[in-house]
Amino acid sequence: MKLLTILTASLLPFTALAVKKSSGDRFQQHFAKQLSNAGPLKLDDKLYGDLTKTPRDYSVAVLLTALEARFGCQLCNEFQPEWELLAKQWTRGDRNGEGRLLFGTLDFMDGKGTFQALQLQTAPVLLLFPPTTGPNAKPDNVPQRFDFSSGINKAEPIHSWLVRQLPDIPHPAFVRPINYLMIGIGITAVLGVITFFTVAAPYVLPIIQNRNLWAAISLIAVLLFTSGHMFNHIRKVPYVAQDGRGDVSYFAGGFQNQFGLETQIVAAMYGVLAFATISLALKVPRIANPQTQQIAVVVWGGVILGMYSFLLSVFRVKNGGYPFWLPPF
Amino acid sequence: MAAATTEKTTTGFFFEGETGRNTRGLLRLIILCTIAAAAIASRLFSVIRFESIIHEFDPWFNFRATKYLVQHGFYPFWNWFDDRTWHPLGRVTGGTLYPGLMVTSGVIWKLLRFLTLPVDIRDICVFMAPAFSGLTAFASYLFTSEMSDSPSAGLLAAIFMGIAPGYISRSVAGSYDNEAIAIFLLVFTFYLWIKAVKEGSIMWGALTALFYGYMVSAWGGYVFITNLLPLHAFVLICMGRFSPRLYVSYTTWYALGTLASMQIPFVGFLPIRSSDHMAALGVFGLIQLVGFAEYVRAQMPSKQFQTLLRAMVLVVFALAFGFLVLLTVSGTIAPWSGRFYSLWDTGYAKIHIPIIASVSEHQPTAWPAFFFDLNMLIWLFPAGVYMCFRSLKDEQVFVVIYAVLASYFAGVMVRLMLTLTPVVCVAAAMALSQILDTFLVASTPDEGDANKKPQANGTPAGANGSVDIKQQFANLADGLRSTKAPLVGIYSYLSKSMITGAITAYLLLFVLHCTWVTSNAYSSPSVVLASRLPDGSQHIIDDYREAYYWLRQNTAPNAKVMSWWDYGYQIGGMADRPTLVDNNTWNNTHIATVGKAMSSREEVSYPIMRQHEVDYVLVVFGALLGYSGDDINKFLWMVRIAEGIWPDEVKERDYFTSRGEYRVDDEATPTMRNSLMYKMSYYKYNDLFPAGQAQDRVRGSRLPAAGPELSTLEEAFTSENWIIRIYKVKDLDNLGRSHQEAVAFEKGNKRKKGGAGKRRGPRVLRVD
Amino acid sequence: MRLDRWALMGLIQLSWADSNLTERSRDILPSTFKPPQHFRNVNLVRKINLEKSYPRETINVVIENIDAAPQSEYYLPFEQGTLGRVGGLVVKDKKDPDNIGFHAEIVEIDPYGATEYYKITLPTALPSKQQQTLSLTYWTLAALSPVPFQIGQQDKQYIRYPFSAYAPSAYTTLKQKTKLKLPSTDVPDATSLPKELNADGKADPEKQGTSYTYGPYNEVPAGAVQEVSVRYEFTHPLTHGSLLERDISVSHWGNNLATEERHWLTNRAAVLKNHFSRVTYAQSAYYNPPTSALKEMRFPLTVGSVDAYFVDDIGNVSTSRFRSNLREANLELRPRYPLFGGWNYKFQVGWNGDLKNFVRRVKGTGETYVLKAPFFEGPKQIEGVEYERIVTRVILPEGAT
Repeated sequence: MKLLTILTASLLPFTALAVKKSSGDRFQQHFAKQLSNAGPLKLDDKLYGDLTKTPRDYSVAVLLTALEARFGCQLCNEFQPEWELLAKQWTRGDRNGEGRLLFGTLDFMDGKGTFQALQLQTAPVLLLFPPTTGPNAKPDNVPQRFDFSSGINKAEPIHSWLVRQLPDIPHPAFVRPINYLMIGIGITAVLGVITFFTVAAPYVLPIIQNRNLWAAISLIAVLLFTSGHMFNHIRKVPYVAQDGRGDVSYFAGGFQNQFGLETQIVAAMYGVLAFATISLALKVPRIANPQTQQIAVVVWGGVILGMYSFLLSVFRVKNGGYPFWLPPF
Repeated sequence: MAAATTEKTTTGFFFEGETGRNTRGLLRLIILCTIAAAAIASRLFSVIRFESIIHEFDPWFNFRATKYLVQHGFYPFWNWFDDRTWHPLGRVTGGTLYPGLMVTSGVIWKLLRFLTLPVDIRDICVFMAPAFSGLTAFASYLFTSEMSDSPSAGLLAAIFMGIAPGYISRSVAGSYDNEAIAIFLLVFTFYLWIKAVKEGSIMWGALTALFYGYMVSAWGGYVFITNLLPLHAFVLICMGRFSPRLYVSYTTWYALGTLASMQIPFVGFLPIRSSDHMAALGVFGLIQLVGFAEYVRAQMPSKQFQTLLRAMVLVVFALAFGFLVLLTVSGTIAPWSGRFYSLWDTGYAKIHIPIIASVSEHQPTAWPAFFFDLNMLIWLFPAGVYMCFRSLKDEQVFVVIYAVLASYFAGVMVRLMLTLTPVVCVAAAMALSQILDTFLVASTPDEGDANKKPQANGTPAGANGSVDIKQQFANLADGLRSTKAPLVGIYSYLSKSMITGAITAYLLLFVLHCTWVTSNAYSSPSVVLASRLPDGSQHIIDDYREAYYWLRQNTAPNAKVMSWWDYGYQIGGMADRPTLVDNNTWNNTHIATVGKAMSSREEVSYPIMRQHEVDYVLVVFGALLGYSGDDINKFLWMVRIAEGIWPDEVKERDYFTSRGEYRVDDEATPTMRNSLMYKMSYYKYNDLFPAGQAQDRVRGSRLPAAGPELSTLEEAFTSENWIIRIYKVKDLDNLGRSHQEAVAFEKGNKRKKGGAGKRRGPRVLRVD
Repeated sequence: MRLDRWALMGLIQLSWADSNLTERSRDILPSTFKPPQHFRNVNLVRKINLEKSYPRETINVVIENIDAAPQSEYYLPFEQGTLGRVGGLVVKDKKDPDNIGFHAEIVEIDPYGATEYYKITLPTALPSKQQQTLSLTYWTLAALSPVPFQIGQQDKQYIRYPFSAYAPSAYTTLKQKTKLKLPSTDVPDATSLPKELNADGKADPEKQGTSYTYGPYNEVPAGAVQEVSVRYEFTHPLTHGSLLERDISVSHWGNNLATEERHWLTNRAAVLKNHFSRVTYAQSAYYNPPTSALKEMRFPLTVGSVDAYFVDDIGNVSTSRFRSNLREANLELRPRYPLFGGWNYKFQVGWNGDLKNFVRRVKGTGETYVLKAPFFEGPKQIEGVEYERIVTRVILPEGAT
């Protein structure tokens, strides 16, 4: 049994050699390269043309991307390690190239011509060229295109897409490698925190048990959430925007829209109003001096009136038909 | 109050001593009744302006279920299998709904009939929400009174709760939804819980469990209570505030409440099988451990042993937690439900459950919505939360936790503004009552006295005389910075009148705001649209009901109607016809099937419709009127949901132009223009306008000169303003031709014999 | 007559109103029954009015007793099935309108018979050889049918009415003729009869504007039938009420008389050949051509009615208008959608009235009151409305005896 395995294994290089020799096949050549660098092939215009030339009896998946920082393509950079991981896993799972699938990456800097030829405005784009000859050939030479518009940046959906597109070839499973480093860091961090707490408990506890700290945390959380921070987080709204005349517009038009800065302004307004209220309710009656107290009342009352009025005027900007206002603004 | 020191002669009789308490009690009752009346009255705009009608979408189903309950009785309702929805699957309605609302109105109906008051069940349903909002105001009075020493805080909270638009939005007359009674139950359960924790009595704990059970039967939002109460208990334990009171109330509530919740078929064994409920179970275990440890500690006061015990408790807790995680991973315990999970991982729903993400009320909340719904309460709210820290008792801890959590949830999902509103009202009332109590005191403090009478508590002298001195000092030591100095009072009448006047003005403004918001934003039944004619009179656009009634009267009683799921409940309720999908979005695949039929070419859609025995297709089309809530605007969600199941046949990308725009005019993509939805929407729409002038008033674009052609459907009915269009699915052609050929033949441009055979591909009936 | 004006066609009037008595007074006769030939019709003129959405026939006939004894039972035959659709029958003495006391009832025959009869009992028996002029008027429900059955949304509608050129009679008729009154001059088909039959030797029918005349004919035996039919343009709805329920509740508390009506309507007009097209409908709204669709209805109510409402199963219908003043109270309704041929519509209308206009105390009897309320207040349409069944309930205050 063992002998047989060894025998077969020793024969393998010969068969591979034989295939390569007999046809001078582009596939074997590229696949060997892909095997050796354990990841997608790095393409340029020429290589891309060579790879996607017809007739071909293999499939090619090419990721057209723009990695350079000046293009500001966040998705490209997020997806790139995933793509490399996917290519690596697939190649490792299919060492003999039975699936006849090649992976390639074409960066914009290396393949401007291709981008122009394909009239691509956006990146990344994943193209899958099916074989034109051989058992799994598709009649038309139209590459399948995967759409990243829904914000997918993980390898799993791409893997399942490839599986769907190429049903008749072996599909190596995609297994995300266990990140031992992260686990190590996590365990160390947890232990570190525990140690820190045990050692520093006498100093930390008063801080943790400090009511003012918790009050501050709660208030900040409440102010953040009620001023629409989660909306910014989920919708990824811009921080500020330019209005038509080159000025910065702080408040987004429309009821269902807002900017990052806008929410901070609103949170600040809420905070000022709440603080003024707290002062009026708790601090002012504790001022022993009548004159100081009188001044404090006038100041805080004025702050509330002014702020509230400003808040209402801001709200009128957001909601055109709103009929109410207060004096100053 | 001790304000009336100068004129004790007459008024003093009524406001002091035993009589004074009675008088104040009576006054309070009268005020509460007035508040309840105001709460109910402000919710009747829609009835006065339109009629006594059920609103929106979900209430139509609740109404239909209630009618079923009233007609057939309780047990048939419990076992109700509805074969008129989700054709051809049907729905086990009795086991998949929260029956609390329907049973409540059924009981009220029975009761009224018993009292020989034959009231139409529809009227009970319509007025259910306002009536319960009156009760909610009362419940928030009770709740706030437990929180604050000030007698006015409760009343303020009640009136805030009564008229805050955040709550009115879901409780106007006609919005017969689960939330109508659930908010009352929520607030009242919290009140009972606070009472239980304060008293440590089994009775209050059991009452909490009872109302918790009622809440479970009424609304899926009960999970909020299921997690908030354990969190409160947990935080109290962490703060070192474990007490037998907490132990008694929590264990009573958990044991009885879990049993009660398991009686609802829809909930069933979820409380022990799903992650949503595991926090409650975990805290239940923890509290046993802590209770045991406390007991042992009281018996054996050795320091080393105590440390050991504490460590043991922690280890056992950690082990139990790990075990729970293991169970979850292994699948014995269901993971977090999608809806609940999407609250934490906000990107989750958009990728994995587009149906949830497609609902407008599941969108995150922008700040104007907060201000719109709560107005000045929104900035009184942080102040109130801050004041909770002043004397941080068990119940105030609860308010703080509730405030932070609810504001997070409300920020993530517009709909959960509803759970935020009660705590905002409570906190704002606490802040405002503090100000009013401070500035409405008639007596002026003596300057010399100020330093001699240290008063840690914020309430003025006299209102709260019996606070433990020790407690006061403890508070002072650990108090807030703003309350370190001793309390003096307000000296000048100018300050008092100024602040009082300003607050009164703000309150008046608040009332105006609430009325305006309620009247303008929340009182439209959405089935009926209102517009203003040039002369200012109201014009009612009643297209929905026009079309639904047409379906009801002029189609076979078993005709299946296909529409997007938004209209499923309305079709079931008003048109009384079976539907394919409805607002109970339990079957994603079925919805995706409808989405696919709507977004594909006719040749693809027709077999799907035949397979599902569809007779009529209903689309909502707003282009003529500029009604933006129409199906073309919802279309992308149909595409997305269909794409989730058939990623190779429906692709969202194909509906956008190369520049990434969603267009309906000449530049619309071929996929878009060939989709069934596009064709049904714009079929014959061009004929209304002079040639080439057809305008889409929603999308603001000019439509292609040639309108779409339909071959497998025919227009059956279009409502007056074109909002609803109903198409009849053609039967198979008698001569065995494809519908395209049949239409072409009728038009007279019969194809030449030679070409026809070549071009005609094989007709494949798609089977999915 | 009020019923006439409102085009009431229910199975009411005589037959329905007497339903309490039917068990006692109906004669069940064998199918071989033939009315005794006590009478003969000396002269008969029949007028068929087709201007409304239901035919109204008036037979003015001079009858003569040819029996030896005085006779009072005159039989009016109807074809099998038609009798059930007769909406109303009015019998009068043409010469002497004050002569009242005619009594008409259905003679129930074994259901397989070909002919059914109304038995009219004269107030006073007609002596032998004496003559009397009767005027018989009746309406038939669902007697008109559109031909062709399917038309386009804007096409003209043609109605076919089959009838016998000889008036239905159980007796020998010496001389008779039938006059048709049509709603328009657009009459594509009218059966022609050979001139041999005609007493004057002219070919039937004789046309004069919108009226067509068949006859005069000489002696015709009893039960003779000469089938003819006309087809004429009538582009109006054939509104048919399959059921009308009417509740009149007297409330002495509210001092109020509340009326509520529940209508089940169907338009019997020609159905649409293609489906309904809103474009065509919207375009035609500008010049408002005659149509077979029922678009609106007008209810003239008792003067002084208030609080009128118009609802259907799913709530208020906003397209109604109520005008009330000292002289009239009109409720104008538009259904949610125009009713084309074959479409149904079910709705409810209701209104209140001051009780003192309807109830008065009977003099001298203390607590006895008399209620006088209209039995029926239907929609008033130019083309008329027919009702198949009407149920009127009067709900008296609790405790009334």
